[in-house]
Amino acid sequence: MCFSLNCSHHHPIACIVPPYMLRVLALRGDPKTAEMARTLLKQTEKLRDERAEQTRAGLPPSEPITGAYATTAVSPAEGLCCPDRRIHDGQFKAALPGKLVRSEGDGPTGIADADTAYDAAGQVFALFAEEYGRNSLDGGGMPLVATVHHRRDYNNAFWNGTQMAYGTGDGKVFRTFLELSVIGHEMAHGVIQHSGGLIYENQSGALNESIADVFGSLALQRALGQEVHQADWLVGRGILGPGINGAALRSMKAPGTAYSDDLLGQDPQPWHMDHFVATGDDNGGVHINSGIPNHAFYLFCAYLGGRAWELPGRVWYRALQTLNNPMASFSDWADQTMDAAIELAGRGSIETVMLRRAWKLVGIAI
Amino acid sequence: MIIEIAAQGGFGGIKAANLRKTIDVSDQPEQMRQELAEAFGPDELARLSRQPCGDCADRLTYRITVTEDRETRSFTLREAQIPPDMLDLIDQM
Repeated sequence: MCFSLNCSHHHPIACIVPPYMLRVLALRGDPKTAEMARTLLKQTEKLRDERAEQTRAGLPPSEPITGAYATTAVSPAEGLCCPDRRIHDGQFKAALPGKLVRSEGDGPTGIADADTAYDAAGQVFALFAEEYGRNSLDGGGMPLVATVHHRRDYNNAFWNGTQMAYGTGDGKVFRTFLELSVIGHEMAHGVIQHSGGLIYENQSGALNESIADVFGSLALQRALGQEVHQADWLVGRGILGPGINGAALRSMKAPGTAYSDDLLGQDPQPWHMDHFVATGDDNGGVHINSGIPNHAFYLFCAYLGGRAWELPGRVWYRALQTLNNPMASFSDWADQTMDAAIELAGRGSIETVMLRRAWKLVGIAI
Repeated sequence: MIIEIAAQGGFGGIKAANLRKTIDVSDQPEQMRQELAEAFGPDELARLSRQPCGDCADRLTYRITVTEDRETRSFTLREAQIPPDMLDLIDQM
């Protein structure tokens, strides 16, 4: 047991006597022991205050994070203010970015997709800026460039490394991609890229997809002011074609249930490692197995209640900043979220207990 | 010259949304025939398949098979490796 007064605030792990034990000792110990316990309690409180100051209530630390894959994007934002949105009309061609139709501060264009892309980009920017202190996708204020009406009958939306592009869908399988959780998903790919990246195949690719789903969903929940139990936890609600039997593309609350349709088949997402899908398609099932970490995030949020973009979102964001491993497995990521939760909520906190339970329920022990 | 194109992947990851097209170049108008022959020549497809892919998040993967003079060659191309003009041609097919 650490009763030494040399329990330096620079090495908090060196002091392992929990505060509740110190309080008992302060009350019941002999005069010498009680005095020592009171001194240690004061040190513990001072340490906690310093740690809270260092973590800036969940925002990035004051010192830049270093590492082979850590970029300036993970440092605290400077001059964080406003988005610089640039929305283009692809005019159903493949060339990017297309014709500029709305710049930052311009009024609505009357082109519904362009205006939706503009508004949604602002909401996603606000999530990262106001909640996590990040200045745009790269952390350095990069313009938010997007193209709507990309290609003809194009059943897709993507981030190409520098901008977002959205098809219109073919009207049969997809009717649109201009929906906030989808736009947040694509923009989050930009954040992931500039936070060190995750190789887009197998488990690291599924993590890339899952983290994009998480922040897409958080952008939507925050815009709607929804708490955990009010949100539907769907990704791409309403984007499937009019004849498709399905609510959305993916469900974080119940992976595998977003759609069940004669044309599309059954939503293939698993929620537990026992049902992990080994496949060479889809870059190793990146859009399938993302259901597992998606569900872990949902469970973590559901256990805590309240606003998912607050502490749970901060934990996932901080984990992404500090990951420093582009080939991370689900297990690596789970460990990283636990480290982030300990930093933000404290070791032994209810939040860390709930996080461990969430990962365990999807078959990942940490 | 027969061109078969199959695409998979993308944001949805839904197999039913996968694209499949087959085109007989000899049935096309002269200008289209010329554009297709240039864009989908095996040498050009081989060159494109060696191009850097860049960021591939949510992008499609194309499997292009060209049959000419009883010889069949197949190439796998990422969407980011295909020039915009060629993607427009695929959309027109």
